[in-house]
Amino acid sequence: MFESLSDQVDVLTAYVDGRVEPLRFRWKGRVIRVRKVTGRWSRREGQTVLRYFAVEGQEGATYELCYDPRGSRWLLSRAWTSE
Amino acid sequence: MAILLVDMDAFFASVEQAHHEHLRGRPVIVCGDPGRRGVVTAASYEARPFGVHAGMPVQEARRLCPHAEFVEGDPEKYVGQSLELLNLYLTFTPDVEPFSVDEAFVGFVNTDLEEAGRRAAAIQRAILERFALDASIGVGPNKLVAKMGAGVRKPRGLTVLDEAAFRDTFWPRDIQDLWGVGPRLAERMRSLGFKTVGDLARAPDPVLKGEFGIIGPQLREAAWGRDDTPLTPYHEGAEVKSMGHEVTLGEDSDEPVYLKGTLLRLADQVARRLRAEGYVGRTVVLKLRNHRFETCTRQKALAEHTCDHERIYATVRALFEASWKGGPVRLLGVSVASLEKREGAAQTELFERDDRRLRLTEAADRVRNKLGEASLVPLGSLTHRGGLRHVPFGAMSGRVLQKQKAREESPDG
Repeated sequence: MFESLSDQVDVLTAYVDGRVEPLRFRWKGRVIRVRKVTGRWSRREGQTVLRYFAVEGQEGATYELCYDPRGSRWLLSRAWTSE
Repeated sequence: MAILLVDMDAFFASVEQAHHEHLRGRPVIVCGDPGRRGVVTAASYEARPFGVHAGMPVQEARRLCPHAEFVEGDPEKYVGQSLELLNLYLTFTPDVEPFSVDEAFVGFVNTDLEEAGRRAAAIQRAILERFALDASIGVGPNKLVAKMGAGVRKPRGLTVLDEAAFRDTFWPRDIQDLWGVGPRLAERMRSLGFKTVGDLARAPDPVLKGEFGIIGPQLREAAWGRDDTPLTPYHEGAEVKSMGHEVTLGEDSDEPVYLKGTLLRLADQVARRLRAEGYVGRTVVLKLRNHRFETCTRQKALAEHTCDHERIYATVRALFEASWKGGPVRLLGVSVASLEKREGAAQTELFERDDRRLRLTEAADRVRNKLGEASLVPLGSLTHRGGLRHVPFGAMSGRVLQKQKAREESPDG
């Protein structure tokens, strides 16, 4: 099932063709390598535009990462857990 | 002009399947918070054989398809995806008209249907390659044929129909399959002996005019596959007819303070959207659904146009007090119709004359624009904040989001 989270995570990114690509992130002491970015969208909170990325980890699980420019921080907003 | 209707297959569920590979091939049900009550927003094709469909209570969907993956929907994600799709269509032609979050008309001038069919196939491939999403496309000489054609084969359908093929396909079908004929109209048609689309096409003019007035002959034209509604390109914008919000409550409630607080929050959001898009409206509509799924709508025309949440709330509260029998309520909705552009509307409204309140509202809008919708809420709805999670905060239309995006990207932005 999907778990809704708001966990701050460290994310290693690259800029590819002018776009941000999350490469790996650290969550609960584990480093998760991003195999594929499967979706991108944005959400507005007032003047702030939050950037979301659906990503697939190397181990096959999927996650949704959010870049919040207020404070330049990354959040893990949703994770698939197999219960 | 040849017109396409691109209809995304099980859009919300398909977006989730595209973003999360492990969901592909599995029944996926998109809803509100799965831990709470509410209705199914979308069901993937894998869930449909179990009888799950949009609008069904989540509890019933869970009973029918317990092994499905229930995913909390994210409207802004789907609007964002929809805007990406519109941008894709615009690489094929400038004549693109969004019809809903998951449908758009696409026009090709000086193009025959055969060529339009080839372009439709190219669009279908591009959608799949870029977004891993499936679409069904109808191609026809007008919007009506394109729209009905899109529903002939789903998912991943591509149906090209000229008017003759339209008649062959739809004349034997039930009258309610005709675009624009809802259940009540269909019932009246059947009572007159018009059971199929073909029956309506052959109906005598005096009977149609006598029974249905001016729309009678229009519906017969539709039954022949004729439609002269123009395609309004996206960049020109289409006139909005009404704006509204509705919410299924976390649990049935007969608590007046809670119900009125919900109405206040809904009225506030509708008023905010009206102001954001530069509209004022004159008809306030209440939608009320009880625990037995009986739905009633009541409306009242105001003397003057408004975009003031207090006026909308006062009107909808009066409608609520007059029509609510005191039983448990399942769903509440507020909408405003008879819209006019604000600058064109008569400046007679109390709100316009009340300069202090107008300035206060504009200041509050600026705060919300900067800090987000939840930064300010009307007194009276505050205590219900937790219970009102599903009242959409400032759910602006795609057009407003597009304008905001354009402003951000402009050099002056």
